[in-house]
Amino acid sequence: MRSYWFGDVEDGLCTPAGGDVLAKAERVRSITSMDTFVPPDWELAVACGACRDRADYIQKLREICFAAAERDIKVQYSGKDAELLQMVRTLDEMDTVINLLTERAVEWYQIRHPTFTRKYRRTPAHILVKNIREKSRGALSFVAGEIERLSATRTELAKAVSGRANDVMPNTSALIGGLVAARLMSHAGGLSDLSRMPASAIQVLGARTALFAHLRTRSPSPKHGIIFQHRRVHNAPRECRGKVARVLAGKLAIAARIDHYRGVADPVFLESAQARIDLMGSVTGKGTEKVTGKGNES
Amino acid sequence: MIWIGDVLVSQGEGGVYSERMLGNARVWDPFRSKLAALYYEGTGVEITSDTRVLYLGAANGTTVSHVADYADVVYAVEFAPRPMQDLLEVARRRKNIVPIMADATRPEQYAPLVESVDLVYQDVAQPDQAMIAIRNSAFLKPDGKIILMLKTRSVDVRKEPGAIFKETVEALVSAGFVVQESLWLLPYHQDHAAIVCTKPGVR
Repeated sequence: MRSYWFGDVEDGLCTPAGGDVLAKAERVRSITSMDTFVPPDWELAVACGACRDRADYIQKLREICFAAAERDIKVQYSGKDAELLQMVRTLDEMDTVINLLTERAVEWYQIRHPTFTRKYRRTPAHILVKNIREKSRGALSFVAGEIERLSATRTELAKAVSGRANDVMPNTSALIGGLVAARLMSHAGGLSDLSRMPASAIQVLGARTALFAHLRTRSPSPKHGIIFQHRRVHNAPRECRGKVARVLAGKLAIAARIDHYRGVADPVFLESAQARIDLMGSVTGKGTEKVTGKGNES
Repeated sequence: MIWIGDVLVSQGEGGVYSERMLGNARVWDPFRSKLAALYYEGTGVEITSDTRVLYLGAANGTTVSHVADYADVVYAVEFAPRPMQDLLEVARRRKNIVPIMADATRPEQYAPLVESVDLVYQDVAQPDQAMIAIRNSAFLKPDGKIILMLKTRSVDVRKEPGAIFKETVEALVSAGFVVQESLWLLPYHQDHAAIVCTKPGVR
C-alpha cells in the first residue's frame, strides 16, 4: 500500500482520506515510511476523487500544507522557553546599548568639562550618569536621563527573566541561577536544544570565538563560556577552573534534560548535584573558601 | 531565464522584499540570492513554466518568489518557524508555492506531499549536504537535475572550503550523479559553491 496526502493506493484501488483539512494534515504526519517510494501523481488523485484537475490538486494540497505549517509554528511558539529566549536576548542587547550610550555620554560630558576625568575614581556607572544628568543642561541631560530610564527597565526585565527561568527551567536555575540558566538556553537556541547538548558543549557555550580559534589553530581550548558567571567557577583558582567548570557543566546537562522532559524541580537530584559541585569547590581550595557554606545562589 | 540587458529579472508581482523593479520585471540580485549568482557566473538550469521544483531550505521565501515566477510549481521546504512565517506570507500571494514545514534531512516527512519534480534546488545549512541531495533525489524525474548550493562553512569550519567542495562532488559522483557544472560563487558569495548535476536513467 502506498499512502499519499489524498488517500491510500493499493493495487490500483484508492481509498480517499477523510476529515477536514487539519485531520488530513494529521494523517500526513502519521505516514513515515519511504520504502519503495513512488511520488504522488495528480492524475491518481483525480481518479481517487480528491480533486478535479491539476490546479485543484495544487490548491487542495496547499490548504493542507498551510494548515500543517500554521499548526506546527503555533506548537513551537507555545513552548514556555520561546518567550524566555526573546526576553534574555533583549536583556543582553539592552546591556550593550546602555554601555555604549554611557561611554558616549561620558565623552560628551568631558568636552563640556575639560578638567573632568575618571582616573583614580571609583564612581559606578549609574552614579556617573546621574551626575551627568544633574550637572548638564539641554540634550546631554536628556540623554543621561534616557540612559537611567533604560537601566531601570533593564533591572525590571532582569527580574522577569530570572522569575520566568525559575519557572521554565527549575533545575538548571537552581544550580546556576535564573539569569545564567536563561543565557545558556538562549545560546543553545532553546530548551530542547540545550537538553540535547553534551556537557562538554554546555561547558563552552558562549566561548565561540575561543572554541573555533582552538579548533582552527593551536591555541588552547576554552575551559568555560557562560558558566564562568557562576561563582564556583570564577572564584576557583585559575588552575582549577577547568575542573570546576567541567563538573558544573555535567550537572547542568542533566538538569536541562530533567527540565525539558519532566519540567519540575527534582529535589533529590538537586541536592546531590549541589553537594558534588560544592565538594569540587572545597577540594580546589583557597579561592572558594569565602563563599562555601553560603548555600544556593538565587 | 529573462535578462534585461545584463540584469537578471523574473516576471511577477513585486514588493516581496522591496526588490528593485525594471518596468514590470523584478530584479533578481546575485548578491542576495545564490541561485541568481549561479546564473550570472555559470549556466545553471533553465526554469520554464513546465518545471516542477523541490526547493530545500526555502528560508524567508526571497529566492523562492523568483523561482515561482518562472516555474510551474515550487515545493518549498523549510524547518525553522521564524522564516516559515515569512514564507507562508509569500506563498499566500503566489498560488504555485506549496509551503512545507519539514526537515530536509528527513524526506519521509514530506514524501506523501511532493510529486516527482524536474529540479531539486538545495540551499541548506547542514553538515552532510551531499547525503541530503542523494536522499531527496527520490523525488527526481529521470534525467531531472539537482542544484546544490554548498555552504562549506556549515559542513566543517576546520576544513578548507576547497577540500569540502571536492569531497562533496566525489560523494555525488559515487552515488551515480553526473556533475554538469561546479563553480565558486565569487565575487557574490564567500565560501559558497554551486554544483549542478543530473541523475541519469533513474527508474
